[in-house]
Amino acid sequence: MKSISIFLISILASLNAIADWEVNMPRGVTPTANAAYDLHMLIFYITVVIGIVVFGVMFYSIFHHRKSKGAKPASFHESTTVEIIWTVIPFVILIGMAIPATKTLIMMEDTRNSEITLKVTGYQWMWKYDYVEDNVSFFSKLDNKSNEARQLGSEIDVKKVDNYLLDVDNQVVLPTDTKVRILLTASDVIHAWWVPEITGKKDAIPGYINELWVDIKEPGVYRGQCTELCGKDHGFMPIVVRAVPKQEYTKWVSLNQKNRVAEKSE
Amino acid sequence: MSTNIDHLKEEHHHQPSGLMRWITTTNHKDIGSLYLWFSLLMFFIGGFMALIIRAELFQPGLQFVIPGFFNQMTTMHALIMIFGALMPAFVGLANWQLPMMIGAPDMALPRLNNWSFWILPFAFTMLLSTLFFQSGGPAAGWTLYPPLSLQGGNSMPFVIFSLHLLGASSILGAINVIATILNMRAPGMTLMKMPIFVWTWLITAFLLIASMPVLAGAITMLLTDRFYGTSFFTAAGGGDPVLFQHIFWFFGHPEVYILILPAFGIVSTIIPAFARKKLFGYDSMVYATASIALLSFIVWAHHMFTVGMPLAGEIFFMFTTMLIAVPTGVKVFNWVATMWKGSMTFETPMLFSLAFIILFTIGGFSGLMLAITPADFQYHDTYFVVAHFHYVLVPGAVFAVIAAVYYWLPKWTGKMYNETLGKVHFWMTTVFVNITFFPMHFVGLAGMPRRIPDYAVQFTDFNMIASVGAFGFGLSQLLFVYILLSTLKQPVTAADKSWEGAEGLEWTLPSPAPYHSFDTPPKVD
Amino acid sequence: MKGTNSTILKLSLVVVAMYGFSYALVPIYDTFCEITGLNGKTNSVAYTGNDIKKDNRFVTVKFISNVANSAPVYFEPVVTEMTVQVGKPYNTHYVMKNNSGRQLHTTASPSVTPGKLADHFKKIECFCFEQQTIKPGERVDLGIQFVIDNDLPNNVGDIVLSYTMFDITDKVVNEMSKL
Repeated sequence: MKSISIFLISILASLNAIADWEVNMPRGVTPTANAAYDLHMLIFYITVVIGIVVFGVMFYSIFHHRKSKGAKPASFHESTTVEIIWTVIPFVILIGMAIPATKTLIMMEDTRNSEITLKVTGYQWMWKYDYVEDNVSFFSKLDNKSNEARQLGSEIDVKKVDNYLLDVDNQVVLPTDTKVRILLTASDVIHAWWVPEITGKKDAIPGYINELWVDIKEPGVYRGQCTELCGKDHGFMPIVVRAVPKQEYTKWVSLNQKNRVAEKSE
Repeated sequence: MSTNIDHLKEEHHHQPSGLMRWITTTNHKDIGSLYLWFSLLMFFIGGFMALIIRAELFQPGLQFVIPGFFNQMTTMHALIMIFGALMPAFVGLANWQLPMMIGAPDMALPRLNNWSFWILPFAFTMLLSTLFFQSGGPAAGWTLYPPLSLQGGNSMPFVIFSLHLLGASSILGAINVIATILNMRAPGMTLMKMPIFVWTWLITAFLLIASMPVLAGAITMLLTDRFYGTSFFTAAGGGDPVLFQHIFWFFGHPEVYILILPAFGIVSTIIPAFARKKLFGYDSMVYATASIALLSFIVWAHHMFTVGMPLAGEIFFMFTTMLIAVPTGVKVFNWVATMWKGSMTFETPMLFSLAFIILFTIGGFSGLMLAITPADFQYHDTYFVVAHFHYVLVPGAVFAVIAAVYYWLPKWTGKMYNETLGKVHFWMTTVFVNITFFPMHFVGLAGMPRRIPDYAVQFTDFNMIASVGAFGFGLSQLLFVYILLSTLKQPVTAADKSWEGAEGLEWTLPSPAPYHSFDTPPKVD
Repeated sequence: MKGTNSTILKLSLVVVAMYGFSYALVPIYDTFCEITGLNGKTNSVAYTGNDIKKDNRFVTVKFISNVANSAPVYFEPVVTEMTVQVGKPYNTHYVMKNNSGRQLHTTASPSVTPGKLADHFKKIECFCFEQQTIKPGERVDLGIQFVIDNDLPNNVGDIVLSYTMFDITDKVVNEMSKL
């Protein structure tokens, strides 16, 4: 199943080298993102097959069973056998989907044995990151270049801004090959933290704590956005995660450790 | 759509005419027309808001509106389309058709029927007026999640009051529909002999009665949290914002089935008529509709998979949501079996109905994908969801309403619309609806969130395409209005049975149907 | 018309009942949350029993703090992590300091994750939902005493206890002025 998806995606990828025409979810760089992607493709292929069959029958009928071709209408209008068949078969297909889906869900919700804990707090309209064991703390907001360009009537060509709307002043640095437990909460309204290549999203709810886990397998820079409407600048509070090898992470921690909460800017 | 009002005036000298006729009417046909015209007006207002949204999203960067106003547009677009366009359209169709289809002279409660309608213009004027407040209209999304909705400006109490009124109108209408169907069928018309459209409306009316009061509770709690010191939804007072989501979606999920079940009934009426073959599996269709309605009460949290529910909850709602695919699939198969070995012609109502089956099913496929919780963690709150619900609502519900109007127009007016223009309207609408909404699957999967006025540059191309499609779709509906208005100018030429394959009591009446019909109930075998 | 009237009466009762049901969902939700630990709701009534015995298992408890709506307070736990023995009561506290120039009224709400372990985190004493009044510049210790009960499943990960401190000065002052 995986190799088929990789094969098809590489065909698609070669057809559209530019990200602009991206039609699919990224496979991602963590076990949870990979699992979501694989499940997504499985269900997608199943619906494609069902669609081909059902629409195929429909189109055949539209072409052949028309009055203009001289077709005379049949008189059958019920069949218990047939009703049972097309109730049972879809039900069986659903069970086939539910089994991998349940396994994947259980895997995704298991945050045990994490090595480090990152607390993420959503604010209107920025994020705050607290590395619980490593004592690093900072705010992260939309990069100034993007912020200037996005103002109504700014006359700045946004296509010339690097990583427009997906760049921040302070990036989240995480070590690769490390199970990281991410705790989510918010200061004011509900937000949601999402970096597609790293994992699915969870809501950040004021007064409550949610959690998810990630284990980033490849170093790199991964970008995401807030995904729960949180007011006027909901679209302007992105997330940037920089995944680095463990040693680099340790160095970064020691450089930033005494850096308590940075001044929150308006 | 005036019926034989002049003939009538000779009999009832005190029947008002002009504006007073429309304000005081208790006639189901008049009220049906009021609902339908109102719905068309609201469809254009909501559509105008959609075009503001799509104009802003044509390119990255902000060109036309500030983000706060954009959020007002997305919020109002949804509220108007759901509560002002779709629901009144289905109620209008119910009013026109249900009494005739069951051989009844009118609805069970004609005066209540009048009030149910006239609440609407009042409520929507109030709702729309909030856009002109200094603090603006509602901008927390039509789902009104707290705490964001509690931060709102002065519009909030007006929006809540307006929603209460709309809910009341729907509830009263639903009571009327159930009372009519259960008590006023012509002798001999048992429940399992009713036209399928009557069944789908009966079930829809029960969904309305059970779910709309829950919305009323939820928004009242919002109101008291904001103004009267309660803490249903604030953690500080021991409350929980997620509680609102549960209560809201307990209403919200049955609501979307309220928006689609009458559409199923319409398609189940039109396909047999134009295939000249009885609906396949009538009994199954009734049971499938009832199953969908019952299941719709135990799936609500699939709108909330990312709130941090316990694993058991996530699994439960994943299973029940997947299960709903079964009766829905059964309905699609039954429609195809109706077509199979029929003798089809492809007039405009049939074209819209066939497009419904194909495009609603595509919406169903994305729905099935969304049901899978671990995958939904990636789809939730992205344009993938926007694509899904627009597919089931636009080439789904809206196409069914349009099909119904073309189908029953000769019965209501005695006049035939121009078939060539109807087909042009169909093709333009269908092509543009796909150009608008199909690319949204792609940008959603590629990572574009919902409810944002501006986006990262890699989403540009598909957004441009969608915006072009949206404007094309909007313009195509002007053609629909032209077709309707020019039809009304035609002479009366429609036969009693305006379509060769049409079945049902309404087709035994003259076209246009008399102002009062079935004053004596017909015989049903 | 009799049939119609009876239908209408029954339907109206359903409408009223469903409206009432939406309000009933509030306590139903709370009860459901306490039973299942959804959303990390812990026991709202202080645990007073004494039938929990120490057993051989240990679990790590992490303490975190949040300040809602950027209220002008410093609010942190004195200890961010404790390895605790199941069945043995422990004490710790949070520190709150009023960094503003005026008197504040505050309250804190707790949350535990993973949700399903919330039920096993029994609070004997805590400052949840207790209103504090704190003068400008004043520093207070807010203590909690807790015990992990024996029904804790095996092989669990860390338990995280989170408190969110809310500034409710405006609300309190409003209510007091109405008296």
